[in-house]
Amino acid sequence: MNRIKTFISQETWSPYIAGILLGLVGLFTVLLANALLGASGAFESLAGLLGKKIAPSLFNNVYWGVEGSRTMPVIRPEITWGVILLVGIFFGGTLGALSSGKFKLRFNDDAQWKRIFGPQPWKRWVIGFVGAIIVEYGAGIAGGCTSGLAISGGMLFVPAAFLFMAGFMITGIITAMIIYRKRY
Amino acid sequence: MTISSITLALILGIAFGFSLNKAGLTTYRNIANQFRFTDMTILKYMMTAIVVAMIGLYIFRGLGWITFPTVPATYIVGNLVGGLIFGVGMAGAGY
Repeated sequence: MNRIKTFISQETWSPYIAGILLGLVGLFTVLLANALLGASGAFESLAGLLGKKIAPSLFNNVYWGVEGSRTMPVIRPEITWGVILLVGIFFGGTLGALSSGKFKLRFNDDAQWKRIFGPQPWKRWVIGFVGAIIVEYGAGIAGGCTSGLAISGGMLFVPAAFLFMAGFMITGIITAMIIYRKRY
Repeated sequence: MTISSITLALILGIAFGFSLNKAGLTTYRNIANQFRFTDMTILKYMMTAIVVAMIGLYIFRGLGWITFPTVPATYIVGNLVGGLIFGVGMAGAGY
């Protein structure tokens, strides 16, 4: 019992152990819910839900569904199963941090980040925000993110998953090279 | 949605988030360093998850317990271009 406690309270596990847990979660998602794990689609659903309230004409398109049309939209602008999953992911991450006693409100305390970009928290916020827009835009085009396409697609042997992984590794490496330059 | 499917989504989501946190993927360092190849956490994590789920899925399908859900569509240019854009944000923001 004590050994389980110590194990759970570790800040990080071996990525293989954490990966096995994620693999089982992915497996049980198919088995119990006949669904796939994903995160980016949930953000799009929420964006569509908001957008249809704020600017209905702008959001009245093929992507989020045309009013009165019977064709299924690419993204359903409602509280989908994936949105609930996303809420769970948030609390799961919080629980993980709490379990290791590392839970803390922080704005910018990553030493490596500070070395590269400087200590100002606003830079972290701006770069994080812009990066998130790029990530979500890319995920929208590709049809999923690292979880919804790379992992969920990968475990079903879908070619799209491996194309996507190749894609983000290529530009990820180039971006890191540009950011880190000599320190790469 | 029924209460049971909402509960299920929450439980699966919590387990997913917990494993992400324990893998250390909630920190900038681990994401950025994958692209510098000084830390292989992401690849180890993702590939382990894919292999574990893949083995289970194909066994369960063989036993007739599951049918595969709608698979993500493959459209070569879209998947690749989307991935290329995604990588810029991922390595830049480190999330």
